[in-house]
Amino acid sequence: MRYLDDFSPGQVFDLGTKTPTAEEIVEFAREFDPQPFHLDEAAGKKTHFGGLVASGWHTAGILMRLLVDAVLKDAASLGSPGVDEVRWLKPVRPGDVLRGRLECLAVEPSRSKPDRGIARFVYELANQSGECVFRMKGMGMFARKPREPR
Amino acid sequence: MSDGRRYFEDIAVGERRDCGGKLVTKDEIIAFATKFDPQPFHIDEEAAKTSIFGGLIASGWHTGSMVMRMMVDNFTTKVASVGSPGFDNLRWLKPVRPGDTLYVRSECMEKIESKSRPNLGIVKFKNETLNQKGEVVMTMTAIGLYLRRNPG
Repeated sequence: MRYLDDFSPGQVFDLGTKTPTAEEIVEFAREFDPQPFHLDEAAGKKTHFGGLVASGWHTAGILMRLLVDAVLKDAASLGSPGVDEVRWLKPVRPGDVLRGRLECLAVEPSRSKPDRGIARFVYELANQSGECVFRMKGMGMFARKPREPR
Repeated sequence: MSDGRRYFEDIAVGERRDCGGKLVTKDEIIAFATKFDPQPFHIDEEAAKTSIFGGLIASGWHTGSMVMRMMVDNFTTKVASVGSPGFDNLRWLKPVRPGDTLYVRSECMEKIESKSRPNLGIVKFKNETLNQKGEVVMTMTAIGLYLRRNPG
């Protein structure tokens, strides 16, 4: 189990890869972001995107899933207060191989609640060409390591 | 241009636009989180009871995605928007639980004419998501790129 105490500034995690399909992009968009360029390749071709592209919220969800599978599922995660400077830098298209990267920036034990604290991270997704398509800063709240009984 | 859409020049700093009425169900919370955020407090009712949240709560990304849908249904086709570079300062302030109904309150905070792309302007909105009790559950600064009627 990874606790707040196990994170340190400068730590980098490879979160592995996810390749969204056209069907997944359309399925997400039908429910949450039904704009033409997220729903239909032909409609996307008529826009400045030049084809079907993933909703930015879908892209964020893909990053979140990689983060859970690679780090949070074995961590004492207590959720997140929020994220900052969220940027969709390049379109995400069907078949793109998206690789997640997590870098720890800071670790801040809570002053008021000694059993937990905040770790600050930068989160990124890069495509198969090495282009960064999504980047954000954010926070995760984690439990502190339980003290050994004396 | 008289296509009925609102352009950069038509948006006023301080203007408000509200929408919503999205009921959040347990099945939706679990379905979203199973795909995108499978942490116990998002997918497992029993495990969630013993978590710090005291019950099942929606993934914050699910809340953001539901807000996106409300914006698309109510505003996106009515404005000359060409997408968004991202957003700032998103904060998940209160848990969203099954049975909650979500509303969005949006206020235009700032307009900036793009220097590099004279046909575009940047419009920033403070978006607050509220539940049926009027509690603010999420806030963010949304950033929209809008076409200008009169390119600078």
